[in-house]
Amino acid sequence: MRLLHNYHYAAAMILFCLGLHTVIVRRNIIKKLIGLNIMETSVFFFYISLGYLKEGIAPIRVGGAEPARMVNPIPQALILTGIVVAVSVTALALSMVILLYRQYGTLDVDRLMREEEKGEAVGGGEV
Amino acid sequence: MGAWRHFPILMIAIPLLGAVLLPFLGYVRENWVPYAAALPLGASSLLGLLLIGRIPSDGYLSYHMGGWEPPFGIEIRVDYAGFFVMLVVCGITMLSLLYSRRYISREVSPGRRTAYYVLFLLMSAAMIGFVATGDIFNLFVFMEILALSSYALVAITGNRNAVRAAFKYLLMGAPSSIMVLLAIGLLYSATGTLNMADLSARIAESGYTEVLTVSYILFVIGFGVKAALFPLHMWLPDAHSIAPSPISALLSGLLVEVCTFALLRITFSVFTREATALVGGTAEAVGVAAAAAVLYGGIMAILQKDLKMMIAYSTISHIGYIFLGLTAFTAEGLTGAMYHMLDHGLAKACLFLCAGNFIYVKGYRRIEDLRGAWREMPWTCFAFAVASISVIAIPPTAGFISKWYLILGNVKAGKWLYTAVLLTGSILAAVYCLRVIYYMFFQAGGEGKWEDAVRDAPPSMLVPVWLLSLGTLFFGVFSYLLIPSLLKASAYLL
Amino acid sequence: MKRVISLLFIAALAVLLLYVVASMPPMGDPKNPTATHVIPRYLERAEEETHTENVITGIILNYRGYDTMGEVTVIFCALAAVLAVLGRERRGKIFGFVDRSEVPSSTIVKTMVRFIVPFIILFSVYTIMHGETSPGGGFQGGAIIGGSMIIFTTIFGLYESSRRVPLRLRAALEGSAVMGFFLVGVLGLVGGGNFLTYAWPRVAGNLQPSLVVWLTVLVEIGIGLGGAMVLVSILFAMIREEEEIAPAA
Repeated sequence: MRLLHNYHYAAAMILFCLGLHTVIVRRNIIKKLIGLNIMETSVFFFYISLGYLKEGIAPIRVGGAEPARMVNPIPQALILTGIVVAVSVTALALSMVILLYRQYGTLDVDRLMREEEKGEAVGGGEV
Repeated sequence: MGAWRHFPILMIAIPLLGAVLLPFLGYVRENWVPYAAALPLGASSLLGLLLIGRIPSDGYLSYHMGGWEPPFGIEIRVDYAGFFVMLVVCGITMLSLLYSRRYISREVSPGRRTAYYVLFLLMSAAMIGFVATGDIFNLFVFMEILALSSYALVAITGNRNAVRAAFKYLLMGAPSSIMVLLAIGLLYSATGTLNMADLSARIAESGYTEVLTVSYILFVIGFGVKAALFPLHMWLPDAHSIAPSPISALLSGLLVEVCTFALLRITFSVFTREATALVGGTAEAVGVAAAAAVLYGGIMAILQKDLKMMIAYSTISHIGYIFLGLTAFTAEGLTGAMYHMLDHGLAKACLFLCAGNFIYVKGYRRIEDLRGAWREMPWTCFAFAVASISVIAIPPTAGFISKWYLILGNVKAGKWLYTAVLLTGSILAAVYCLRVIYYMFFQAGGEGKWEDAVRDAPPSMLVPVWLLSLGTLFFGVFSYLLIPSLLKASAYLL
Repeated sequence: MKRVISLLFIAALAVLLLYVVASMPPMGDPKNPTATHVIPRYLERAEEETHTENVITGIILNYRGYDTMGEVTVIFCALAAVLAVLGRERRGKIFGFVDRSEVPSSTIVKTMVRFIVPFIILFSVYTIMHGETSPGGGFQGGAIIGGSMIIFTTIFGLYESSRRVPLRLRAALEGSAVMGFFLVGVLGLVGGGNFLTYAWPRVAGNLQPSLVVWLTVLVEIGIGLGGAMVLVSILFAMIREEEEIAPAA
């Protein structure tokens, strides 16, 4: 049936859900970020599979390649941008993690939240 | 074809170039950076003003990037609604930038100030680009620039709470961006195009209804997180209250609204009226969430002790208003929603900047400390009062006009429950706003808290505050300038 | 408790998404909307219109160049954001935690790295310049340079690598990606077309293909260089430590 035929898409969706679950449930911040990266990668995988063509060849016009057999180039172009975006978000997230670790000494989200309540009792947030 | 058709892209590209060149100036002469940052934004706003009158209220300006016609190239599409939001963005970012100079020189450490202005310019350019684009993947790219710059700007003071709030914001915002990307992918798989106008045509005649419905749901969740629609709002109170005040003004006054506008775009320009069957069920759910947002935001705002937290929860409430205007699916509702973007932007920015004044001059953050404030900081208190009147939606402010149209829109659609919710929202707003005003004007200050001599914030911080609060009055009294065109534009969108 | 709610939500989402997958157009079918609507024009006419053989490069630099301009802005914004959070080094010597490692890298490793890094950089230059005709392109090459700098920094320490890629160089070149696009964009306006049209310069009234290729290569180099410098700067910002921090065990 169609679901099995579109197995690339199905795999991508399952990875997406696994990644989202990791982001929500894990207590360690680094693991949450890994979950985020899994989500992003699954979406990239989904996009590229959209362009798949049976017996397709690369969309480069060299040496008599016929356009009709070329794989769809648009998702690949979009994903180049998407990968850069994902890298940027990860870089920013990791630099915040570095700062958080220096300031709080923990990578555990629950302990960070408890710091928050303690902070609130003292006098509220800064600035 | 005149030169003016290039203005939209120049409005985006000039602040972008400014952001890239600013670090060089910062390397050489850091003190000039705030003034230099005002130049590209000012130029952009000027170009925007010059475009007034060129965009028909029931049409659009289409610009093909790189000369390739859509759907093969990217199209910039400025219709009246988009242009309206672009001007709001230009105005409020300019005023916030002017305000930033003094505030940031005190709150942000010297090594990071250039980065602040760079990120500020990037965020402003991205907001304009976000609203002006006619290509859905381009929308995603600009949304990411917006998101990244906002995460960093919340954390820029380096304070422990700020970094934590920014990280919480990132942890909710990044997955929502990925969801939007997935939604775009689903749309592409069903239609084969990325241009919004082309998409609307192909969606109406496409057979893959399940794919399109799920795509819309993912868009709603994705943009809903960014726009802080209840129950996806959890990041907002911390992020907006802990960010530096000019940034809080931008985040609450512009960013959440621009993301709401994106959802407006998706619903009305991409999934047009013809696709109501696809969109209808989700829109009902959004309506319920919006009503809950109005009530939740209002009640939580009443319970807050910190001024900026209260204002942040008020934003959650007002975003609910805008969504209720959208889900009414009538021209009046849409007009109310868009006019509310204007007046909420002005009023909320004014409130946050006033809060910033209190912090800058006295260091007070709690509402308790504002008892008797009017004797020392009358200008700020009065501006706060005027903006609050707009938040409560009392005539003749702009808030009243927008609420009028929101209610009218919902009545016309037969949604009486939502009308009741809108009215309740006003009552809640009255409670939390009047409480602060009462403290400021009618209570005696605690010992040593407030002096008798007037020692308000410096002019560069007062002028933007006053311009914003006068703006709420101005656009209330002179609303007839804009409302008819907005009504026509809304009818065009529907 | 939170786990259970999350599992339920995720399970519902998974069911929804898999249901969508079952209703999507079949994978690999040449009659899909994705394969029939816009693609034929790109595949057939990309070479004549963009003068690049790699259709993907033609798309990202020419047809959808505005998206790529947004992308380089995103990476620049990431740099500004990381610097806003972590701060830029003051001019002078910088140290990172790798410099304090009690286990210095062995001679074999150091020699190998010193030998290989120039070749990696050569390869990345090839990737950037040859992006028109083979898989590759601006950002890919820039990322390879970034990767080679990571290797170098890990083995030799931040002090050494910051001497190789000093602050002045990085600060000067970080914006080159956006500047490249802006330059080409304005040239397009000058040439009478829209922003980002590869319309100028014209020779004898005609658009010379070789000049269009040169403009494309210029943009690619800008992206590659800018991306590389941004990645290196982010790396240095994350590894750098203030000297006052006591060495961690």
